[in-house]
Order: sequence, then structure tokens, then C-alpha cells
Amino acid sequence: MRANPEVLILEDDAETLDELQSHFTRKRFHPLGARSASRALSLLENNRYSSRPVLAIIDWDLGKAPDRTASSGDVLSRLARELRECPVIVYSQNIDAFNVRSQIQRSHPRALLHDKRDGDASLLERIDRMLDRTVGDLRIHDGTVVVHLPTLDQHHHREAIRLVVHHPDIVTFHSDTATKAVRRFGEWLHSHNSAVRLVSHGNRKYRLSATAPEVVAPDGDA
Amino acid sequence: MSASPAHPTPVTTTLAVADRGHGPLGSLVRHGWEGFRVGIVDAPWMLGVRAPDRGRAILVITIDGELAVAVRDAVPGGMAVVRDGRSHDGDAIAAACLPWPWMVVGSAVTLTPALASLLRNRPVLTFWLGDPPIGLPSHARCFDRPAALLDAVQRACTASVGGMRLAPGSGVELEDGTLLRSATLESLIAAYPRGFALPARTFRAVADALARHNAGWSPQRDGAEGTTLVRAAARSQR
Repeated sequence: MRANPEVLILEDDAETLDELQSHFTRKRFHPLGARSASRALSLLENNRYSSRPVLAIIDWDLGKAPDRTASSGDVLSRLARELRECPVIVYSQNIDAFNVRSQIQRSHPRALLHDKRDGDASLLERIDRMLDRTVGDLRIHDGTVVVHLPTLDQHHHREAIRLVVHHPDIVTFHSDTATKAVRRFGEWLHSHNSAVRLVSHGNRKYRLSATAPEVVAPDGDA
Repeated sequence: MSASPAHPTPVTTTLAVADRGHGPLGSLVRHGWEGFRVGIVDAPWMLGVRAPDRGRAILVITIDGELAVAVRDAVPGGMAVVRDGRSHDGDAIAAACLPWPWMVVGSAVTLTPALASLLRNRPVLTFWLGDPPIGLPSHARCFDRPAALLDAVQRACTASVGGMRLAPGSGVELEDGTLLRSATLESLIAAYPRGFALPARTFRAVADALARHNAGWSPQRDGAEGTTLVRAAARSQR
């Protein structure tokens, strides 16, 4: 059984939201679409025990939102606090303005920024570059599997996809189940003699490396 | 260095906090557009910039955040997270950087006693634009121009000493490929050839770890520069 990874989309324009949702559905992701920030917060709350999105796409400007009881900043802060491992793309017409960028960074220090003036196609291209990634001899296929290219063997767990999407960044995993899945993925890489290795940074933090360093025990101040 | 595992990162459930105080998301948000009032919401502790994290962090404290935006552009991808602070929440953000901020950059703000104490007692790279405030440690570097400061930030991120370099996110990759997790060593490498005016005991664990791995380098007090990395051979000659 494959669990399609979720993607959170917050976009106040109904037409653009439909387009984004269709795009992710075609790529076999499960889109969690919201036209308002409060709806996005509800989606995160309702899915908190069942899943954690592998990507969030956030429109900073919510002028057309049907419900204005929450802001995009609230969603970003929630993502930064509770879903740190989820990459976030924030797009806005005013992304060049330093005060907008500063507000976004204070809400989510790791958020990636995108200029809405470049058009929807540019955003989709960037998303595809993130999600259809090739790292060493691994490639994500259909958003649901990691393929080892030399053998075409597949690994299906969403945490493996999360690691590949994040490469070379560190990902923090928040449950024993996720951590065990990550270790199994590490063993799978080893058994396939993959050029990619799993590197543990302790405290449930992992990243992928094409040239894996040997990891030693943490010191007192790390 | 202790082999015991570090404490897990605390987790705060923001909706639970909201529910206790204000009903479902009540006064946390007010009217919502354009990331409305992100900096002055009723619950500023909920801002993502104040979320505890053990990754390598650059805390930038300014009046308006413009320098933080520039620093973020200067930092190579994945090397460090830039945390955009103001004078009123710099302490809280510094406390959320675990074990401490790798670097503090500031301009035109005063230092709170808590932050000044942190900078004087931990090996934190400290870069300041303009006139330094009272309380900066002697190893702090001050710059007249933003371009010079940004260049120094970039150099710190890509620093390499004897084959040791900062790993993406956190830790230090030794020449033999070993990943060593030590915030103090990260600071020593980034500051090289400068050092830190801190007691020798601050660097004892790093000295032991480098000796264990035959890195060929060790922290040592070096006159005006404070404690910095020196070649192990040079150390034995002194």
C-alpha cells in the first residue's frame, strides 16, 4: 500500500488553487487545499496525527480569502513550530519589499521565497524541481516512491521522500515510527550499495549525503 | 565531551495555547491578509522565529529587519538559519537557538543584560554594524559598511581549517570525513584565525575531541586573539 504524501496549499484565488491542486493530483500527491488561513490551520490540526505534509505552498497575500480570521503569517508560524521538516514556499507580489520578507522570515525562518509576478508556471516549475529530484542514484517518482536508478528498486515510505526532497538539508523527525522508517531507508540504501548515505545528526535529525561521513557521538555542547 | 544524548527539542502546540487563552484561534490573529500584524500579534511567542531549534543559527537583531534580509541572501544555502530579531525579542530568540546562536549580528540596538551575558560566556561569533553597544565582548568584530559585514558572514559560513569545515545545518566535517557535533568547534573554525576571549575550560571538550580524532589542530590561547585553533605541532613547541 502506498501513502500518497500530502501537500498543503494556501491560495485565496479559487482558480489558482484549482490549478495547483490539479497539478499535485497529477503527480500523485494528495493536495490539502485551503482558500483561507483558518481553513489551512484546521487542515493541519485535523491531519496532525495521521500525516505531515511534505511540502507547503503559501500565498502571502490573502486579500480574496473568504474568511479573514487568520493570516498567512499564522499558518507559517504554525508550520515553523510544529512541522519544521516541511519545506515551505511563500509567494507574493511584494516579495522584493524587505518588510514583507522580514515578516515572512519572522513567521518562518526557513521559508523559501517566490515572486508571484513570475506567474503560476514559474511556481509550478520550481515545485517540480523540488519534488522530481534526483539525488545521487536516487530519484523520486510520482511523488510516492524513491527509485534506486541502477536497480530500479523502489522504496515507498513518505519519510524517505521527505529526506530526498530536503537534500542536502537536515530533517527532524518527530516520532519513533518516522525515525524507524528513516533507519530502514538507511539500511535499504546500504543494501543497494547506493551512492547516497543516511547521516544522523542525533536528536532525530537526519540528512542524506552522497559522500557519507562517519558520525561520532555528540559532545556536550552540540 | 559527554556521550550522553542531548535533551530533545521542546515542542509547543500553538493551537492548544490558543485554545486555553482565547478560544479557537480567537485573538491570536485578528483580520488576516498580507501576513497581517505578524510582528505584533497578541501572542508573539507563537512567531516561528521563536521556535526552539538545534540547527546552526544566525541571530540578526535590528530595528526593522532590513539587515536580516541581506544576511539571509549572503548565507550559502543550507549552512545556517537566519533568525530575524528585534531588540524586544532578541533574548527570547537567542534562548530558542540551541545550544546557543552560532552567530549574532546586530545594528543600532542596545544589548540586553541577558544577551550580553550570553555573548561574554559562550563562543558566539559577534558581528556588529556601526557603533558597538555597551556589553559586547572584546572578540566582537565591528564593521562600518554592510558589504564588509556580509562578506565576513559569508566567509564564516565557508571557513575551512586544516581540512575541517562546517557541515550543512550543524556539525563539523573533519578531514577524514567524520562528522563531529560541537557548537564550540563550529565557532572556532568560523572565527579562524581570530579567536574568543573566553576561559580555557570553554574549549577543553573540543581539545579532547580533536585529539581523539588526530585532527592535528587544537584550541589554544593566542595572546591578543584569545583562544583560537593552532596546529597541534605548533602547540607542542610552545
